[in-house]
Amino acid sequence: MKYLDFFTIDVWTIIFTWANMLILLTIIKKLLFKPVTKVLQQRDEEVKKMYAQANEANEKAASLEKEYNEKMAQAREEAGEIIKQATVSAQKREEEIIASAQQQADIMTKRAETEIAQERKKAYQNIRDEISDISVAIAGKMVQREINAKDHEALIRRFIENVGEEK
Amino acid sequence: MDVSINGPKVLFTLPFFGGIDVSQSVVSSWVVLALVTVFCLWLTHDMSVTNPSKRQIAAEKLVLMVKELVENNMGQNWQHFAPLVATILAYSFCSSALSITGLRSPTADFSVTLAMALITFSLIQLYHLKSKGVFGFFKRFVEPVPVMLPMNIIGEVSLPASMSLRHFGNITSGTVITALVYGALAAFSRLVLGWIPNTFIANIPIFQVGIPAVLSVYFDMFSSAIQAYIFCMLTMANVASAAE
Repeated sequence: MKYLDFFTIDVWTIIFTWANMLILLTIIKKLLFKPVTKVLQQRDEEVKKMYAQANEANEKAASLEKEYNEKMAQAREEAGEIIKQATVSAQKREEEIIASAQQQADIMTKRAETEIAQERKKAYQNIRDEISDISVAIAGKMVQREINAKDHEALIRRFIENVGEEK
Repeated sequence: MDVSINGPKVLFTLPFFGGIDVSQSVVSSWVVLALVTVFCLWLTHDMSVTNPSKRQIAAEKLVLMVKELVENNMGQNWQHFAPLVATILAYSFCSSALSITGLRSPTADFSVTLAMALITFSLIQLYHLKSKGVFGFFKRFVEPVPVMLPMNIIGEVSLPASMSLRHFGNITSGTVITALVYGALAAFSRLVLGWIPNTFIANIPIFQVGIPAVLSVYFDMFSSAIQAYIFCMLTMANVASAAE
């Protein structure tokens, strides 16, 4: 069995070692650094892309919120306007109703008053007629003779009128 | 029981240039290459961008750790250096830790660590040349005064020498100590069990079970990791300063 010296400089071992290290360098470069660096780069790009997307989404959300707020404010204003209008028209309507009711009530009162007056007039008339008849009858009985109703009627009527005025 | 500590065994000889001896160190290096290849393939197969598996997270962490190490020690614009640093780390650590399997560590061979240190040395010279130009490259040997020339040359050469010798010495000492402890434990076992008449039972090296594992934690794992780290740090620091 041949041995190299324990402490020696063997040129072929040196050359083999250089070759081995060159091969190892290639292996480590191609099989470890290249794929890992590629993946890391891709991940960096992905992260950047995600950040960009997140920013975009944020901006969109902010603009949507602004729009929503604007619309809400507008809607609130409109609602206030509608309520105000409704209140105004309701008030107007109320006044109208009250006014028309008042008017009707006035009309009805007036009519009732005229009717009462008419009825009273009629009642007077009736009573006057009856009184004149009764007076004629009483006078006839008292004088024992037939009083010509037509002759005295004017007299009686004056009397009754006086009675009516005195009342 | 004799304990023999040899250099790397020559496993076969290639019939070129009057016979190239292929030693255990080289074949062990091939095993390291195969292991690292399988490990890389396993780490990085079916990776996904959005849903990484634990394996993928480990792979990413590994790559990022090396990149961070390079960035912290060399600077921002040295990212392209990360694969080389990872190569030195992986080769040095796996080679040293290979002694766990019972194979001979390639880094326990001075030729291997010298080859690694020469790569660092070449890179340092290359970056000196790149940053200072041809004139500046030679001028730095006679600075601050021409008398310093021998000192500067020694200083330049001492770096690869110290790096390779440190790495070689640490791993080899681990191998040697482990071999010595194995021998000692076998002898101790024989001492304890030697009175048993049955030669088979008397020769069971009971103390070799367990005790070397504790040593292995230090010599195979800790020392390997530390040496790989030191080698990388020295490479990065010196190359970066050469480029300034």
